[in-house]
Amino acid sequence: MKLIQFASITKKIALASFGLFLLLFLPVHLGINLCLLREDGGEWYRNASHFMGTNYIVKVFEIVLMACVLLHIVVAILLTIENFMARPVRYKVKTKTKTPFMSRYMIWTGGIVACFLVLHFINFYFVKLDIVEGKYSASIEKVDKIFQEKAMKLQSGELNEKDQAALMAQYQAISQITPEKMDNSKKNMVNLTKEEVETYCGKDFKHAEPDFYTMSQELFAKKSYSFIYILVFLALGFHLYHAINSLAQTFGLSHKKYSPVIEWVSVIYAVVVPIGFAIIPLWIMLAK
Amino acid sequence: MDFTLKIWRQENRKAKGRFETYKISNISPDCSFLEMLDILNESLVNKLSHPVCFDNDCREGICGMCGMYINGHPHGPDKGVTTCQLYMRKFTDGETITIEPWRARPFPIIRDLIVDRTALDKIIQEGGYVSATTGGVPDGNAILISKHKADEAMDSASCIGCGACVAACKNASAMLFVSAKVSQLALLPQGKPEAAIRVQNMVAKMDDLGFGNCTNTYACEAECPKQIKRSNIARMNREFICAKVGSEESTKR
Amino acid sequence: MNTLNSKIPEGQLSEKWTKYKASQKLVNPANKRKLDVIVVGTGLAGSSAAASLGALGFNVKIFCISDSPRRAHSIAAQGGINAAKNYQNDGDSVDRLFYDTIKGGDYRAREANVYRLAEVSNSIIDQCVAQGVPFARDYAGMLDNRSFGGAQVSRTFYAKGQTGQQLLLGAYSALSKEIKAGTVKMYERREMMDLVVVDGRARGIITRNLQNGEIERWGAHAVVIATGGYGNVYYLSTNAMNCNGSAAVQCYHKGAFFANPCYVQIHPTCIPVKGEYQSKLTLMSESLRNDGRIWVPKKIEDAQAIREGKLKPTEIAEEDRDYYLERRYPAFGNLVPRDIASRAAKERCDAGYGVGATGFAVYLDFKSAIERLGKDKVEERYGNLFQMYEEIVAVNPYENPMMIYPAVHYTMGGLWVDYELQTTIPGLFAAGEANFSDHGANRLGASALMQGLADGYFVLPYTMQNYLSDQIYQSKISTETEEFANAEKSVKEKLEKIMAIKGEKTVDSLQRALGHIMWEYVGMGRNRENLQKAIPMLENLKKEFWSNVRVTGDLNSLNPELEKAIRLADHIELAQIMAKDALQREESCGGHFREEYVTEEGEAKRNDQDFMFVGVWEYKGKDQEPVMHKEDLKYEFINVQQRNYK
Repeated sequence: MKLIQFASITKKIALASFGLFLLLFLPVHLGINLCLLREDGGEWYRNASHFMGTNYIVKVFEIVLMACVLLHIVVAILLTIENFMARPVRYKVKTKTKTPFMSRYMIWTGGIVACFLVLHFINFYFVKLDIVEGKYSASIEKVDKIFQEKAMKLQSGELNEKDQAALMAQYQAISQITPEKMDNSKKNMVNLTKEEVETYCGKDFKHAEPDFYTMSQELFAKKSYSFIYILVFLALGFHLYHAINSLAQTFGLSHKKYSPVIEWVSVIYAVVVPIGFAIIPLWIMLAK
Repeated sequence: MDFTLKIWRQENRKAKGRFETYKISNISPDCSFLEMLDILNESLVNKLSHPVCFDNDCREGICGMCGMYINGHPHGPDKGVTTCQLYMRKFTDGETITIEPWRARPFPIIRDLIVDRTALDKIIQEGGYVSATTGGVPDGNAILISKHKADEAMDSASCIGCGACVAACKNASAMLFVSAKVSQLALLPQGKPEAAIRVQNMVAKMDDLGFGNCTNTYACEAECPKQIKRSNIARMNREFICAKVGSEESTKR
Repeated sequence: MNTLNSKIPEGQLSEKWTKYKASQKLVNPANKRKLDVIVVGTGLAGSSAAASLGALGFNVKIFCISDSPRRAHSIAAQGGINAAKNYQNDGDSVDRLFYDTIKGGDYRAREANVYRLAEVSNSIIDQCVAQGVPFARDYAGMLDNRSFGGAQVSRTFYAKGQTGQQLLLGAYSALSKEIKAGTVKMYERREMMDLVVVDGRARGIITRNLQNGEIERWGAHAVVIATGGYGNVYYLSTNAMNCNGSAAVQCYHKGAFFANPCYVQIHPTCIPVKGEYQSKLTLMSESLRNDGRIWVPKKIEDAQAIREGKLKPTEIAEEDRDYYLERRYPAFGNLVPRDIASRAAKERCDAGYGVGATGFAVYLDFKSAIERLGKDKVEERYGNLFQMYEEIVAVNPYENPMMIYPAVHYTMGGLWVDYELQTTIPGLFAAGEANFSDHGANRLGASALMQGLADGYFVLPYTMQNYLSDQIYQSKISTETEEFANAEKSVKEKLEKIMAIKGEKTVDSLQRALGHIMWEYVGMGRNRENLQKAIPMLENLKKEFWSNVRVTGDLNSLNPELEKAIRLADHIELAQIMAKDALQREESCGGHFREEYVTEEGEAKRNDQDFMFVGVWEYKGKDQEPVMHKEDLKYEFINVQQRNYK
């Protein structure tokens, strides 16, 4: 039974290609995450997030990346169903065939990662898309700039009465909150709620951004979250352990001399990348 | 040695099957697995019941006719052998042995442990050959083939078509079987002219017949009685990509 | 009256086949499409014949007893295939291959056929290479050769230890191509039940669909029998479980003559019988005799102690070992031809010097080879065979000597065919091991594959056209005629009769009984007394079968017991003519050894004066004695000599 009308090898190559893109993205993400380890009040991290959130080339890649995530998952699920249907009557005795570690459980480790991804999106990505409410921040200079702009506007007297009143309210609000919103640990940053962002800036995010730094710090402050996070990356490690090898096999890269190299790359990648991710909550926990 | 056998019995393609339990005793450890079943069958005939049907022929591990799923392994727990080359000394006295037929959508059960494996022949018919007709061929030494390539082709060609790879695969995929043939002919200069069309046709047929997709678990390689290597699958993937991308010939001819 | 016309073309030996091909009748392509050919059997001969005929354009139907042609027992041949390529520059030629084959066959084969075989042998190699058969190559990329018994040149082509497999897969692939092209139709899991003869010509067959028991009729302008040999008459043999001589017996019943049934080849290096439950014997490649030394204990009490498990072979001192082949045949030693090595082993075991629990085994010892060459070298040469031995016997052959014993391996006899491979029934052809044509009284190693493929690729496609050219006026053969109906009816009656017996004896037990009679009385060493005993014993067994066999299950489903029973009935019949043929042939030649006819040194003694003929048996009816005809063998081109391996 075919759910997707392509040759089995084509499907296999597609799945691998989507996975390959994800494999390439992971180190990028890891690089950004590792900025959390710097005790700079999140400066590097914020800069990186800002770059990722605003650069147009990155935005194009973001679409490709999201498509890859989605397709990787959907194709994997469909293929698993197809594969399951290739054996309508199962064996009574479970297989005792020795196969490479974890190769049989790709759909399960993948599934764990996918579930986490949902949580991760709710926590972060959807905040960016403004589907979910998160924490926001803006630099003092920016807040100041808005303050000045609003002041100028009020003075110009071009506004009608109603708008004038609204602007006045915003103006007052900003002038009131600035000092207590100042966070000394973060350099010159102001923590804002979504409501406040809207109040100060209208729905315009030009000057305030979701504060992923604070959000991640808060999440990692929860032991349960950190625990789940580490477990998920363990699962990802298992998933990756088979991934690169398998990828090479799928692309037909098998060679007496080079295959062992690929094998090593696969192992190193599968160990280093998840450890890199998992080290962050551990660091934060230990630091406290 | 004494054994309890749990064997899948099914009268025909459509009948509903069931496991039946038989006790068998005084089996010599030097007895082969199929001879053990012969003994069981003779006792069943003596009791006027129908013997357990199973495919077998050469009984020296080369024809690929025999094959059953024994205690969670195609061809049983011993490595690198077919069912007929499995000896009872590989089991422990008093053990319960569960014997199932190959299970895969393209392998319908004919009776008991006999399955219809003609799907494998159908794949070969799609291109598992060099289209040389009889006569009019060049001298055997006209085209030189490096020893390394010839040996590798031989390793791929030693597939016996038993279907254990399909039986072992969690997806009932026939990739190892198909790739062994594709590899053999891709490695030899004689197979080159048809290489691009061969791999596409054979893969298309394999898919049409309802075999599952390969997920690189390599259970096939682990259970293959002739130890056909998974590098054949990689080679077939490579051939497939090259054919799809690089060749103007497409699937149907 | 001699009804046998072998149709050997006139002229010089080396020109016969060329002349034949040049003057034979052909069928034009438009007519080929209208002609149907049935091929029974999918081994080397059957597959290659069907593929070649299909490629020519005939409508071919091929019938396979298993699920796939790749199961045919040709697949089990290990050693190699001979061809007179002379790639090694060691003096080989078509003439020499011809001569070696005739001599190896103990001058009991037809000159013209053997010459043709040697002639086409080279084309076979080319054909197989073109099909993608991965023959072994040397470092220059050229085809490699090895030497084999009975020849002084290296002319054997091989593909690891699986030459038969690769050649069969080559023929199978050629067949698959034709199936795809639609010229060949494949019918798997069918067993031939009868031959249909219409107006004296073979016009079709009746088959049983083994999956559901259906009896089916098939018509054609010609029928090819390529169903292999009948070694399973001996119950234990190196043949596969499904190998049987049933199809040949059906043809014999319908008027095809059966030639030289008594010529059976016994292979000396098989793994010995372990117990009553044993179902088949496993062959170990003959190449083991290149480095292994064969011996039994010198003292009968040592042999006794070994059998009882009190003594280990490694404990027997060098001077207490009897290397009987080296003793008897100092020139060839352990490398004497198969029949001689086999008989010598039997002689020692019968004299009480046999080893193993049953006393029917001799040692094949690699101790001196390991000392001489080192374990690594021995492993390199024989590693996979040693592994196979250890797998089966659970004894490490590097430390303990292997045990071997001869076993039935190949039948040189078969359906009588003329130069065109046509039997005495017009339109019925026989190819491969199923015919008798090329090996005389003994087959040389690596010649079986050669013959099967020669018949299928290069002989039948020519000779059958000569017959079919007359058939173009014959419209499609209808299966609705009386002859087909009668054949089907008699098959059904026979099957119902077997099912209705409901006796006490299982098929297996009767089969074992048949095997026992044949091995003991019509086996390796035969004598008048024993053969005369065997004939009534076989008659009794036949009666016992038809009155006391027990077949469970039913007719209309997959029923292996019934299949075995049908084959057994035919095998008993075959056994009878084997015994009769062995009795009439009062000489020792090749695979047929009569203990009365030996030289002073105890070697086989041929009688060219009285027995230089093919013994051809004609079936005369159910309770009638078969009649033997003689086809005299004339050797015009070679000198007949005594075989001497001392």
